[in-house]
Amino acid sequence: MAGKPVRPTNAIDQTRRMLSLVTYLKERPGARVEDVARAFGITEDELVSDLDVLPMCGTSFRGGDLLDIDTDGERIWWHNPAALGEETAEPLRLAADEATALLVAARAVSTLPGLRESDRQALLRATAKVETAAGEQAGASSRLSVTFEAEGGVFADVDRAISERRRLWIRYYSPARDELTEREIDPIRLVSVGHTYVEAWCRRSEARRTFRLDRVAEIKILDEPSAPPEVELRDLSEGLVQPAAEDPEVVVEVGPGGRWVAEYYPHDSADELSDGGLRITLRTPDPASLRRLALRLGRDGRIVSPRDLADSAREAAREALAAYDGVEAQGAQAAGAGRDGQGDGRYDRQEQGL
Amino acid sequence: MAIAKAERLMNLALCLLGTRRPLSKRELRESIEAYLEANSDDSFNRMFERDKDDLRELGLVIETVENLDGEVGYLARRDSNRLPPITLDAEEAAALGLAAKVWQQARLAGAASGALQKLRAAGLPEDVDPYEAHGALEPRIPVHEASFEPLMLACRDRRPVVFDYRKATAARPEPRHVEPWALECWRGHWYLAGFDRDRGAERVFRLSRITGKVRSRGARFTAPVPDVVTVRETVAGWAGETADRSALIRLRTGAGYPLRAKATSVRELGDGWDELEIPYGHGLDAWLVEFGPDVVVLEPAELRADVVDRLRAVAKG
Repeated sequence: MAGKPVRPTNAIDQTRRMLSLVTYLKERPGARVEDVARAFGITEDELVSDLDVLPMCGTSFRGGDLLDIDTDGERIWWHNPAALGEETAEPLRLAADEATALLVAARAVSTLPGLRESDRQALLRATAKVETAAGEQAGASSRLSVTFEAEGGVFADVDRAISERRRLWIRYYSPARDELTEREIDPIRLVSVGHTYVEAWCRRSEARRTFRLDRVAEIKILDEPSAPPEVELRDLSEGLVQPAAEDPEVVVEVGPGGRWVAEYYPHDSADELSDGGLRITLRTPDPASLRRLALRLGRDGRIVSPRDLADSAREAAREALAAYDGVEAQGAQAAGAGRDGQGDGRYDRQEQGL
Repeated sequence: MAIAKAERLMNLALCLLGTRRPLSKRELRESIEAYLEANSDDSFNRMFERDKDDLRELGLVIETVENLDGEVGYLARRDSNRLPPITLDAEEAAALGLAAKVWQQARLAGAASGALQKLRAAGLPEDVDPYEAHGALEPRIPVHEASFEPLMLACRDRRPVVFDYRKATAARPEPRHVEPWALECWRGHWYLAGFDRDRGAERVFRLSRITGKVRSRGARFTAPVPDVVTVRETVAGWAGETADRSALIRLRTGAGYPLRAKATSVRELGDGWDELEIPYGHGLDAWLVEFGPDVVVLEPAELRADVVDRLRAVAKG
C-alpha cells in the first residue's frame, strides 16, 4: 500500500534507529535485510546506510571493540555480539516526544468512527500499555490532541465495500451547485485529512473523484463487484484539492473581513491591498461554483473576474431580495409578524428603491 | 572527511550506556574519533554539549557526577534508561503500526517511528501488516503550519511565546504574548489554547493566522495549566455550531440539502417551497445568503435584517 511515513534522513532519527537496531540484531543472527527493513518501517537503502555506520561504532572507553556487523545485501551478520554488553543492548525507554507522537496518534485513530470495534479495542489496550511503559514521559502527550471527523455509518459501509471489493451507490451533495446527485462509485481508499474522504472511480464522470463522507446523503452497497481501473495513488499530503493549470482563473477582492478566503481556498496568489484586504487569484474547473462565495462575502468582498460570475451573483441577490417583498405581504397576515413588522418595513422600503 | 553526526552520536551513546563508572570529558574525547578530530577545545566543547542535548532529546537519561577530585563525569545508567517490560499481542502491534504512520509532520513522524522501533527491539510482534488489519483506512494528521513545531516544544517545556497574530477580520497582525497550554487539531486545522498575557485571559489561536516566527522567551512559566482545555468548544462557537436559538426559513423544494440535514422540523408547503426550523448560531446569516433566492428567512427579525443587509451589499456589487 501507499504511504510510507514522512521521514527525512537526519542524524537524530538515524541515531535513534541505530540504537534500536543493535538491540534487535543482537538477538537475530543472519536476519534478512528485507525483514529488518520492514520491521523498522524503513527502506532497504536506509537500512544499508545504517549498516555502513554501525561498524564505526563501539561501546567501551579505550580499546573497546567496534561492532563487527556486515551484510551481503541479503542477510546481516554480527560477528562479535559480545562487543555490546548484555545490559547495553537492552531496549531503551521512550523519550517524551516519542511517547507523545505515538500516544496522540493512537488516541486520534481510536476516535475514528469507522474503526472496527475489535481494532479499536486492540488500540485502546495497546495505548494503555504504552502509557504505562512510558511512565512520566507520557505526560507531555496531554498537550496535543487530534479529532478526526467522519460519519460513522457511511464510513463503515465504504470500509466494507473496499474490503469486499463491491460497488457503491451514493447520493452526494455538491455545495458548488447546491444539488444532490446519484452516482455509482468503485471505492479505492479512505483518507482522513481533517475530514474523511473516499477516493473512488466515479462511473458517472468516468474519472477519479474524491468524496467527503459528511456530504454523502445516502449510501448503498451494491451486489456488483467494484472494478476501478488501475490508477496510481496520488500523494495527498499537499491537500486534496489540486487545481489544474488549465482551469479558468478567478480574481476576488476582499476587505479585511474577507481575508479568510485565502485560508480556505487554495490559490495562486494573494496580494495585499491598501485597505487591509487581499486580491486573491485562484483557479477552478467550474467558476460558476464560486457564486456561493460571492454571495457569502457580502460587503466583505467581490468577484473581479470573470465578469459573468460577478453578474450572476448580483442577479441572484436581486432575485432573493425580490422574494422578501412577496413573503412580507403574506407574512403580515399568515405569520402575524406584527412584532417585527416595523424593522422589516424599513428594509422593504429600501429594497423597493433598488 | 568529516565524520557523520549520526556516527558521533551513536558512539557517545554507546560509551555512556556501556560504562559502569562516570567518564570524564577528557576520557570521552579520547575514545571517540570524531572528538579526537576536533581542532580546538572550544569546538570540542560545543560539539559535546550539543551532542548531549541531542541524546537527551532521544530520551537518554545522562547523569552528571562529580568525582572526589572535583572532575565531572558522565554516564547513562541502565536502570534509568531501560524500557519497562511491555508485551503486546499481534493485534495491538498492528494497531500501533497504523497509528505510527499518521503524522505528516517530520519531527513527530520521526518520533513515532522511533517509538515503534524501540518497541520492536523490545519484541513487538511484526507479522501483521497494519493496512491489511485495518481495511482501507488511511488516517493522516496534516501539519502545514510552520509555527506548529516551536509551539509544540513551548507547550511541552512550558515556555512563554511571542508571535504576530492576525485576527480573522484584522488587516494587520499584532504581537501576542502567550503562555501556551495545548495544541488541538480539529477539522484539519491546528489551534493553540493558552493564557494571553496582555489580555489577562484564556485565548484560542488558529495557527494559520500566525505570521512570522514564534519566539520563545527564556524562563519557564509557573502558572498552572488547566487539565481540560476547551479548544473545540471555542472553535465550534466561532463556526456557529453552538446555537442556542432557532430560526424559521422557507427553502425551495429540492434545494439546500445541508440545511435540511440540520433542520429540527420540515413542513412541505406544496407550492414549491418547504418551511424549516433550523438552529440559529453565529454565522447563520452568511451561510443562508449562500443559497441566494432559494432561501427566505421568516424569523427572527434580526436574522432577516442581517440576511437582507448582506443581499443588498451583493446586489449593489
